[in-house]
Amino acid sequence: MAVAPTDFRRRSPVYRELEALGAEFAEVNGSAAAISCGREVAAETEQARTLGLCDLSALRRGGFKGWRTSEWLREEGVEVDDESNRAYPQTDGSLIARLSPGEVLILGDLSGASAILEKLMAAWNMAAGEGTYPVPRADTNCCFGVTGRFAGAMFAKLCGVDLRPEKFANRLVAQTSIARLNGIVIRADLGETLSYTLLTDSASASYMWGCLIDAADEFAGAPVGLDALRKLAER
Amino acid sequence: MKIMVCPLNGPRNISEFIYGGEVKAHPDRGSDAEWADYVFFEENAAGVVREWWYHAPTAYWFIAERNTVTEEIIRTYDAKELFKERVDFAPPPERGDG
Repeated sequence: MAVAPTDFRRRSPVYRELEALGAEFAEVNGSAAAISCGREVAAETEQARTLGLCDLSALRRGGFKGWRTSEWLREEGVEVDDESNRAYPQTDGSLIARLSPGEVLILGDLSGASAILEKLMAAWNMAAGEGTYPVPRADTNCCFGVTGRFAGAMFAKLCGVDLRPEKFANRLVAQTSIARLNGIVIRADLGETLSYTLLTDSASASYMWGCLIDAADEFAGAPVGLDALRKLAER
Repeated sequence: MKIMVCPLNGPRNISEFIYGGEVKAHPDRGSDAEWADYVFFEENAAGVVREWWYHAPTAYWFIAERNTVTEEIIRTYDAKELFKERVDFAPPPERGDG
């Protein structure tokens, strides 16, 4: 059943922009996610193969920080390699990005779930969690997907780090300035399709969304819904 | 644009970094004059200096050695290389319960 972003207290920071596109919404994690941006899924999937922009702000995400974070994760049965600025896929579909020796970022899958994050949040408490603490990112960060073969070229207009696929391998992480905003870019390809996940300050989400739309225009990029990305991930 | 190599993130535009002052010894329980010197005054040496720098996107402090005459950045490294032990900031006993 179709829902509206205003049916929920938690809303994507760009829900007004998505409504203006004629997006269709569905409930994900107690808020409304745009599952399409006004076109058929097949057309949006094709768009996402060339250059698509997708609001992923409703998806589950979080993290942990502190000098004992790696050790604590290991105690909880979560294995993540030591190399920073890399993302490690997990069996439940989550992706764990190591941001520094003492910090990880956990991104759920495209359904909005992250069994690992739920488990870790349930296991953490002040006493057992000495030396590590949760870093909630659901409200402080917005999250956008940038997909398709022109995504690397598009980022060259916004960012000083070379994110082109031949220079920036799958599952590398860049913490840098994007359109003059500090953010995190993670390359996490969907099937065969080049794909980046961008996290930045949610208070500046409308600005960033506008920058992405503007930068994508040159490559005929356009917004797409979550269903298009789910299709790409299937193959 | 100038490029600085962040020990955590690699080469980045200099606009991503913020200068944090010279690396100098902390005047642990020093006099007011020593504290004023520590907080407000810099050497401003011409030549190779050792400074704190901050990579803003990752909130990461590190140390850079830089030649202020030639503007060359000689080396950047994690603060662990210099600060190997935990610094205890416990208040002195005589200032305990006021």
